[in-house]
Amino acid sequence: MKCPRFEAQSVFRLLAVVLILIAGASTVLMFSSRAGAAAKGKLTLAWHAGFASRWLDPQEHDGTATPDNFFTAIHDALIKNQGTQLFDHPALAERFTIAPDSKSATFTLRKGTKFHNGDPVTPQDVKFSYENYRGSKADVFKKKTERVEIVDDRTVRFVFKEPFLDFAILFGTANVAGPAWVVPEKYYKQVGPDAFKQKPVGAGPYKLVRHEPGVKVEMEAFDGYYRPVNVKQLVMISVPEAATRVAMLERGEADIIYNVPGELINKVGKLPGVTLAPVLSGSFFVEFPGFQDPKNPFHDKRVREAVSLAVDRRGMNQAETAGMGKPTGNWINDDVQYAIEWPEFPRNVEKAKQLLREAGYPNGFDVDWVTPLPAFYSRGERLISQLREVGIRGRLQTMERGIFFQRLQGGLKEFPGTQIILHGVRIAGSWSFWYEGYFKCGGFSSRDRICVKDLDGKFDQYERSINPAERKKLAEEIQRAILENYYLVPVFRHAFVNAIGPRVVLQKWQDVFPTITTGYAYPWEEIKVKD
Amino acid sequence: MAQFIIRRIMYSVVTLFILSGTIFLIVRLTGDPVALMAEASARPEDLERVRHLWGLDRSWPVQYVTFMQNALQGELGKSFNYRLPVSELYFQRLPNSLTLGLAATLISLLIGIPAGIISAVKVNTAWDNVAKGVALLGLSIPGFWLGLVLILVFSVWLRWLPTSGSGDWRHVVMPALALGWYFAASMLRLTRSSMLEVLGSEYIKLARLKGLPDFVVIAMHAFKNALIPVFTLAGVNMVVMVNAAVIIEVIFAWPGIGRLLYEGIFQRDFPLVQGVVIMAGFMIVGINLVVDILYAFIDPRIRLSR
Repeated sequence: MKCPRFEAQSVFRLLAVVLILIAGASTVLMFSSRAGAAAKGKLTLAWHAGFASRWLDPQEHDGTATPDNFFTAIHDALIKNQGTQLFDHPALAERFTIAPDSKSATFTLRKGTKFHNGDPVTPQDVKFSYENYRGSKADVFKKKTERVEIVDDRTVRFVFKEPFLDFAILFGTANVAGPAWVVPEKYYKQVGPDAFKQKPVGAGPYKLVRHEPGVKVEMEAFDGYYRPVNVKQLVMISVPEAATRVAMLERGEADIIYNVPGELINKVGKLPGVTLAPVLSGSFFVEFPGFQDPKNPFHDKRVREAVSLAVDRRGMNQAETAGMGKPTGNWINDDVQYAIEWPEFPRNVEKAKQLLREAGYPNGFDVDWVTPLPAFYSRGERLISQLREVGIRGRLQTMERGIFFQRLQGGLKEFPGTQIILHGVRIAGSWSFWYEGYFKCGGFSSRDRICVKDLDGKFDQYERSINPAERKKLAEEIQRAILENYYLVPVFRHAFVNAIGPRVVLQKWQDVFPTITTGYAYPWEEIKVKD
Repeated sequence: MAQFIIRRIMYSVVTLFILSGTIFLIVRLTGDPVALMAEASARPEDLERVRHLWGLDRSWPVQYVTFMQNALQGELGKSFNYRLPVSELYFQRLPNSLTLGLAATLISLLIGIPAGIISAVKVNTAWDNVAKGVALLGLSIPGFWLGLVLILVFSVWLRWLPTSGSGDWRHVVMPALALGWYFAASMLRLTRSSMLEVLGSEYIKLARLKGLPDFVVIAMHAFKNALIPVFTLAGVNMVVMVNAAVIIEVIFAWPGIGRLLYEGIFQRDFPLVQGVVIMAGFMIVGINLVVDILYAFIDPRIRLSR
């Protein structure tokens, strides 16, 4: 009997066939297990606010943090903030490059991505979404962009008139601006912007099933999504009353509830199987409107320092968020580009009194109004009582939220005399958005209440610079100067406390709230529920 | 009669006109709705763009004329936040509010009328005191507190009813009870006083002298006449329940018109608030007009005296 002779070539051929078969089977398995095919169960999320339909349309992103809940479910972006990535998580784009001179950015789309209506995601859709974008910071993108080029059927390039160093961070941070979110051009034009808001079609992990404006959004896992989607049905319900949301969680009608107020935190924390998710959120800090005026007591650095020494940050955090927030050293959140680490400021009442004496206020002085961000009035009251210990006497001024923001935009004339504002701010992306909004002279919120010319000069230099190392250095210098001079006095980082029910699979709460740039529970496709 | 009806219709039109102007002004006095979006990293250009999109960059008179022109054509403007015509949103929510309003009215009648009658018939007895106590509680217990207690007892502890939202009949029970409870109290008081007035009248005394049984006197003679103001109030109450059950709808996440109004106020959605108030006003004015005409039809003294 003759043994068959295997030649090397035949062996390789056979191996190749086997490998192709294995690869084919894996692909089939992978596709069958990804997205909606493997998705199961239902996740119900009870919201703390009413839904605005405009939040379903990234083309009109209002620049606030809330719409990204819907964007990350229904739509998808070329790049986005996800997990610990601030802005550059590759989503619809599998990769992107920024030209060394920062005058162009090139994105390569993933293969085979589709919208919910079956249309492929194309560079033309990307171009349309960018050029048609009219939401937050649209003017910045329009002003700086020369053209959008379709390089090939998977590649699109944004060409800028001048170096645009903040492009990627602006483009990819969902809670700042929305031109990275791709909408289907054909469908959008066909139905128009208003109808699109009622029945949006996107390329995200969930497709819309039913939308009751302001009440409920029901979604179902999208089979064609490029990542596995674990939960079949995702339902977001607006439940404005906190106690009702807690009752829903207790009864198992909701799996995740947003915004557990301070008085309910202890109760919710004791519910069986419920996990609290205290997501670090906005930064609370003190502003002294018009401190640059020599007649203003806060003109003297020693007085501003005395305020910082009087503030009981830990006490405030404990009382206001059951200790779940974080006393901070910087007024800018540490989850943005170029934010510096700064040690927590100490509390020292005696030293504060001494500084006031040295500044010529042995008996302290009166502050006309202390105005906290609505509706965090109790924080304002605590601040007043802490300041009173060192002799700074103030009265609480409460305002409706809209009025507060309107008056901030009115500038110093809205805050005459000696005043203190307790801000609560969260801005994602870059430290520069914080500076531009809340410190720069003429800034959107700061207006003429704060004017420190040398720092504004450095900031202009930062804006003009195309050298990342220089920008980082300037950013750090400016932040240090603000903190060392107590121009703003950081207090603590607020905890946006959410709660997760027993049906959701988790080891720790961060499994459900992994994205550090937001207080919300996305990416949705990663959440799992028990059978 | 025709002159009376025309006059009443004109009064109604003037009332609605004054209402439209008042609500138009009041919502604008609350401030700039775009300012509510002015959080975090918003830029003046962004806000100007939104103001233009929402038509807020035009003067108030121009905005008012546009609003009235549209209203006369049956269009109440487009909601800022929902980007839908207000009338569409209103009629989307109306069935839910009608369901809740009807159920709550039914509860208020079922509690208020029998208790009011018993209280009047057994005046100054323990029954009367209990009824007065119920009325006092009904008027003084805040709806939000009662709503939360109901949720705690029937949803969380007993697990009989869903906490919130809409769906089947079980979703209606608690909000209808919480809403109807307050109106039951006012119904009770009115039924009681109306019954007491009727029971003291000459024809009731005559009926008793004739030897008619108490039940017949109360049910056949007194009750029917005492009901006229009660049902008038029930009609107006129902319009209020349909259009302004704000707190109860918020507590129970009930997708009705009250909650729509709440969202509109909360987000300063001017067209939405204006539209809901105008629709509620239209209903109240319409019901009063019908009642006036019916009264005048039944009692000629009314049309002659006005």
